[in-house]
Amino acid sequence: MNPINWHTVFFYLYALVACGFGVAVVISTNIVRMALYLIFSLGATAGLFFLAGADFVGSMQLLIYVGGTLVLLIFGVMLTAQGPLISLRTSGGDWIVAMLLAGCLAALLVPAGLTVSSWNTGRPAPTTEQVAGNGAQPVLVSTTEKTPQIPLAGGLPDVDNNGIPDKQPITAAPIGLGLLGARVDKLENVPEALRPGMSGYLLPFEVISVHLLVVLVGAAYLARSKRSAMNR
Amino acid sequence: MAPEASLPLLLGLAWLLPLASFAIIVLFGPKLGKAGILASYVATGAIVGSFLLSMVAFGIWHFRHVGARAEEAVHGAAVAATPGNMHTADEGGSHDGESHSESGHGDSKHGDSEHGDAHAGGGHGLPTTLPKSFTKDWYSLAQIGQLKLSISYYIDSLTVLMFSMVTLIASLIHFYAFGYMHDELHDIEDHEVVLSDGHHLHRPGRFYRFFQYLSLFCFSMLGLVIAGNILMVFVFWELVGICSYFLIGFYIERRSASNAANKAFIVNRVGDFGMIIGLMALWGSLGTFAFGDIKNEQGKVERGIFSSVRPPEKIYDPAARQVIAMTGGMVISGKVTAETPDSITLLADNGDTKVILRSDIEKRGIVGGPDGKPPATVHEPFALRVPDGMVKSAAMNLIVDDSVEPTPAQIETWRNEKYGYWLLVIAGLGIFCGCVGKSAQFPLHVWLPDAMEGPTPVSALVHSATMVAAGVYLAGRFFPVFTGEVLLVIAYVGAITLFLAATIAITAVDIKRVLAYSTVSQLGYMMLGIGVGGWAAGLFHLITHAFFKSLLFMCSGSVIHATHTNDMRRMGGLRHKMPWTAYTMLVGVLAIYGAAIPFLIGFSGHYSKDSIIAQALSFWDLNPRHGAILAGLAIAGSGITAFYMFRMWFMTFAGKPRDHHVYEHVHESPPVMYVPLVVLSVFAFAAGFPWLPFSVPKLLEQARYPGAAAAAPLLDKVVFPEEYLSHVGAFHNQAEIIITFVALGGLALAVAFYGLQLLNPDEAKKQFSPIYKLLWNKYYFDELYAAIFVRPVMFVAKIIANFDRWFIDGIIHRLAAGVKQISLLDDMIDRYFVDGLVNLVAAWTWSIGNSLRSLQTGRLRQYVMLIVIGTVALTLLVRWSVAAGS
Amino acid sequence: MQLLTQSVGVSHFLVVGAVLFIAGVVCMAVKRNALGVLMGIELVLNGANINFVAFGSNFLRSDTAYSLGLDGQLISLFVIVLAAAEAAVALAITLNFYNNHSTVDVDRADELKG
Repeated sequence: MNPINWHTVFFYLYALVACGFGVAVVISTNIVRMALYLIFSLGATAGLFFLAGADFVGSMQLLIYVGGTLVLLIFGVMLTAQGPLISLRTSGGDWIVAMLLAGCLAALLVPAGLTVSSWNTGRPAPTTEQVAGNGAQPVLVSTTEKTPQIPLAGGLPDVDNNGIPDKQPITAAPIGLGLLGARVDKLENVPEALRPGMSGYLLPFEVISVHLLVVLVGAAYLARSKRSAMNR
Repeated sequence: MAPEASLPLLLGLAWLLPLASFAIIVLFGPKLGKAGILASYVATGAIVGSFLLSMVAFGIWHFRHVGARAEEAVHGAAVAATPGNMHTADEGGSHDGESHSESGHGDSKHGDSEHGDAHAGGGHGLPTTLPKSFTKDWYSLAQIGQLKLSISYYIDSLTVLMFSMVTLIASLIHFYAFGYMHDELHDIEDHEVVLSDGHHLHRPGRFYRFFQYLSLFCFSMLGLVIAGNILMVFVFWELVGICSYFLIGFYIERRSASNAANKAFIVNRVGDFGMIIGLMALWGSLGTFAFGDIKNEQGKVERGIFSSVRPPEKIYDPAARQVIAMTGGMVISGKVTAETPDSITLLADNGDTKVILRSDIEKRGIVGGPDGKPPATVHEPFALRVPDGMVKSAAMNLIVDDSVEPTPAQIETWRNEKYGYWLLVIAGLGIFCGCVGKSAQFPLHVWLPDAMEGPTPVSALVHSATMVAAGVYLAGRFFPVFTGEVLLVIAYVGAITLFLAATIAITAVDIKRVLAYSTVSQLGYMMLGIGVGGWAAGLFHLITHAFFKSLLFMCSGSVIHATHTNDMRRMGGLRHKMPWTAYTMLVGVLAIYGAAIPFLIGFSGHYSKDSIIAQALSFWDLNPRHGAILAGLAIAGSGITAFYMFRMWFMTFAGKPRDHHVYEHVHESPPVMYVPLVVLSVFAFAAGFPWLPFSVPKLLEQARYPGAAAAAPLLDKVVFPEEYLSHVGAFHNQAEIIITFVALGGLALAVAFYGLQLLNPDEAKKQFSPIYKLLWNKYYFDELYAAIFVRPVMFVAKIIANFDRWFIDGIIHRLAAGVKQISLLDDMIDRYFVDGLVNLVAAWTWSIGNSLRSLQTGRLRQYVMLIVIGTVALTLLVRWSVAAGS
Repeated sequence: MQLLTQSVGVSHFLVVGAVLFIAGVVCMAVKRNALGVLMGIELVLNGANINFVAFGSNFLRSDTAYSLGLDGQLISLFVIVLAAAEAAVALAITLNFYNNHSTVDVDRADELKG
């Protein structure tokens, strides 16, 4: 009998919260409550990110989504939450159709997620040789064992008997470098010919920056157009 | 500056100055002063500048070529001292000049060697004289294979002489025209043009345009004279033609003027057609356009036409270590001093001693003296003559040619074959055909009298220095090319022309027409002179005639200016009112009459006409049958000339006024008009003196091309005498005496009819009514041409017009109707088929869009559901297809 | 308890992602309130994000050679940012619509229907 895998426990906890409140969002008819449930759902999703080793993404989820986007949504809710609009009822027919479709989707997606056997369990624990070979050299978590591993400040990811590294690697630095065009995580494991395709996300990053700016300007414009039209 | 550089420069400038004037007037004509009056200053300045440049060139030529006067004196002494010389003293000068020139300046090589001989006689070394001609390319336009198109010059004494004559006369005519054309400075009301509304034509003056054409005319004529190749000759030939067209049609609104201009132009086209054929024949046979030999860039001499047709020869005498010039057809005149079995020693007239090998005589077919026999005895006057101007191939091994490339082989082949000679005949006839057109020879003489429609200064220019002179000049220039057959044709055409024109002139009453016919007649004399081998005589007459004919025309212009009529029947007694005009015109009449004190002194016409007649007599002596006709017509013509010229003068200036209305308004012309008359009358008197150091015949002799006396192998028994032979006393004295008496006869008749009115012209008219009618109607030439050419052409044209109207137009109309039907059909197809198709597609598209419209419900949630359905369906499809594939 | 002693794999995350995705889709399909639809979109995006992160994780699967690696996290970052932008614009549109029509019912926004 293996000891309880706390990683798994927390996964189920967060998953339950996320799914439960997600479904609650659907079921609830009150727009204000929907917003509240959504916060919980998304927050739990952030927890799932942490559990998947994506610490930076999880924190961004909390900061941007929970702290920014949903606040924005709640502002919208508060601005439009007038009597009849708080709970707009949908006809039963629509519900039935939606549920049918949901069932279809579920029948497609859930089996698709479960078919690949290698996806069902986490990474096996590395052998002792491997651990000894890696020795004193702190390395970034690597996908292949053959290639020399890149030394990375931050310490060796010690792996417990469940294969879960007890020290999570810090992903903020590689992500930041990736956004600036340097993929330090993939330097060692790709054939020479593929190197040019390994470039990071500098251009998308810049594009998204500009996109955000445009969106802000556009949003501001749209939001104030009524008033300016009235003033005119 | 060496003459070979300075002469082309001077003459080239003199040639281009009128062009510059023309360009200025064309561009700025009406703006030059009030009514373009400055245009006359520009044009006159240009032509006077040309004249001055020509005179400088004349001086250079004279002092470099004739300057060796000491030499000439030696020759003269030699001639005078020669026993048995038949020349009289007063002729000695002229003969000396000619004979010396013949042997001394004939050709560059010839000249060199002759002078070499002459100097050798005087203890000198090698010759130092200048060549006979300068020729070079100024600018090469194009070279296509062998065809070389270039602007080149050919300058010999004839060119220099023509330049001087043309620019002098043209200058005086410019001055004269300034007075004559004064009316054109204002608006003109032309009384001879009646418009459809019954009014007279009212038009602005065209003073500047007149001078513009004059400048172009001078430029064209000078270009023709200086031209160094036949291409240039043709270009300027046509330019001269178009200028005469412009000027004859100057009063273009008058129907008669425009008809006359057209007639001149069209008749000239007939001649030019022949000329083109001639030039093509020349090109096709010789393969060159150039006259003279030109050194090209590679330093190789390209043979010109002249040397191809008559290549110079030199016989190298090894015994004498001396080059004896023996040009084809060249004459060595002198007497035999010693004979050996091998050679003949000859004392030439110019004092040279020559040794001629007998073997050469045999080889070259040199035949004897004036009578055509070989020399009989020693100490007999003797002239060697090569009857055929062509090189004999047997003598080729004797040719030592140090300055000219050997004759190309193909030319030799050409010359030795029959068709080469025929081509030469065709070329000569063709070129002469052009000359016939330009110089108004029979049968193309009809345009010249009609050309009197132009302003009188134009007539003067056309009749003396430019248009008609161009024809004779060209005949003279191409003289070396003409074969004996062509020369005979020229002689006959000239003789017929001179007689016809002279007889027509008897009955003419229009003062300008008398002069026009007299021009035609005198041109006939020139052609006759050239035709009987008198090259220098013909061109001599061209020069002297230019002076007195321009004088006569300008006098008549002065008369017309004063009387405003051309009709001599309305004149009479004008000499009291306009003495300058009357007496200068008398000088002109005397000059054309050939007045002289025989053997002492005479007017210019006397010398030139005498030399033609003498040459004709010399020709008669050798060719009794042809000569009788040619010389007879020439002699008769001189008598008729005397008659009609004095008739004209008497009718105009002598007697009593016939029309008092005209007489009262007559006034002397302004000085700007009569001063040129005075100048010209001096030249008309003195231009012919042969004893002057720079006399015309002497200058002409320097331009004589060797081998001038051609034989006519295609005709039997036609021999062309050397021109110097006509200066043998027998012919010259005969000519002088005959002409004097015949002309006196004509003069006497004129005096009897019109001066003293002893006889009544009207009675003579009645008595000789048929002849008078014939002459009055100009031998019905116009009517004849109308019947032969004009009417058939009109008839054919009418038929063709009808054919065009009914047949071709009919076809075109039918075609048009058919096309219209087809296009209607096409329209139907377009409208119903193509448009229908397009509309159908459009309708389908519209209905599809219309039916799909309802899909756009505008309901967001429905869209979401559809997206989901689509996603599910797509996924299922992919999974199914993957499963099916695997 | 077998469930709690085993380590979780990619599949678990995928199932959670699918549930969130389906919830979002249904939310979009049934909510008449425009803000509700917006919330559905957020849910859908989150479901997708979970998938990306799961595929990019190095220790949620036994054959790590096929992991997306850092790409998964980067893409999910972009998705978050774009979701924020989309939310801002959508809210602006919704507010504008509300200002004009005094409602946020998407069923009434059918002026462009064919």
